[in-house]
Amino acid sequence: MIADDATMARLMALSQTGDRQAYATLLAECQKWLQRFYARRIVRHQIDDLVQDTLLSLHRKLASYDPDRPFLPWLAAIARYRWVDHLRKVYRADETILEDGFSAENPEPAIAARISLDRMFSYLPPAQARAIELVKIQGLTIAEASHACGQSQSLVKVNIHRGLKKLAAMIEKE
Amino acid sequence: MIFMHPDPHQFIDDLLDDLRPTRPLTLQRGLVIASGSAAAAIAVMALFIGIRPALIAGSLDPLFLLASGLFLMLGIAASFTVIGMSRPQVGNTHIGWIWAVAMAALLPLTAVVLGFANQGDAYFHSQPVQGMNCLINGSMLGLIVGGALTIWLRRGAPTSPEQAGLLTGIAAGSLGIFAYSLHCPYDGIYHIGLWHSMTVVVSAIAGRVVVPALIRW
Repeated sequence: MIADDATMARLMALSQTGDRQAYATLLAECQKWLQRFYARRIVRHQIDDLVQDTLLSLHRKLASYDPDRPFLPWLAAIARYRWVDHLRKVYRADETILEDGFSAENPEPAIAARISLDRMFSYLPPAQARAIELVKIQGLTIAEASHACGQSQSLVKVNIHRGLKKLAAMIEKE
Repeated sequence: MIFMHPDPHQFIDDLLDDLRPTRPLTLQRGLVIASGSAAAAIAVMALFIGIRPALIAGSLDPLFLLASGLFLMLGIAASFTVIGMSRPQVGNTHIGWIWAVAMAALLPLTAVVLGFANQGDAYFHSQPVQGMNCLINGSMLGLIVGGALTIWLRRGAPTSPEQAGLLTGIAAGSLGIFAYSLHCPYDGIYHIGLWHSMTVVVSAIAGRVVVPALIRW
């Protein structure tokens, strides 16, 4: 069971004052939350690295959280930024087994649906989402993806490029 | 400096060891910094360049008021957006500044339209020598605002560093030329529409190019 938004917001506010114990609890909760958040949207063996990367950003950008605002939308913005950055870097993954979805297991499904990675994907044109899904998330080559989705290889590349650009521009979009 | 670690427990311990009390980047603090830096730009202008006598005497040109007001509002809108962008959150929207840009763009647009209507002598009427002074001094004064907002952004977490840089430049240019317009003795539409607006454009380009490289995640 992952802590709810109000609890995490309280822990974060305490962490900003230097409370080590609150921060330890918060990091543990964020770690669990992020692992679910990234599931299905990144190959399994890369999740731990991406979670650490995101926690590092959380740590460096601790001041950017305003205690008067909800916590999870802030964490989701950091996580989305890190995810898009990761997709840009990854050219090929060698593992394609994906886990269950984030929103289905989340204790706050309404919030989860609004801030999820699936939500971002839903704003992309289907051809761009498909190209990114196949190449950047499932790890197919351009040729394999082209064969799987029926787009030409150059179109797959163009769709990935345009799709990632769009994702980068909608990190805070609900 | 903390790095990613193969052992997650060690990684968490490193983060805990590095924890320091930090002041949140609240909206109020951001607005104080933005308005403080704009006030500093005006103070520098008043001290080293001087407010134009006509303004001190209370002689106000309608176009001066209108144009200065537009640049001030554009600077406020852009600063407000930069502050918002430093505090990311899914659900945030950063589009209000576009309307302020559209309104301020009426100044150069008017100058261009009138210039064409008057057989293209807008440049001659724009006081180009003084115009260069406005461009240079307005941009220099804008550095005070731009510097303050950049330092703020570096502490924040803008998810679109490029847009944050562009808006930092727009805020710096708008508030810089607003400060300098309190000195500039020319109130003609050609002068304001071309040279004062160009200060914002040049600052926006500079912000877009320079600021993203200074933001670290």
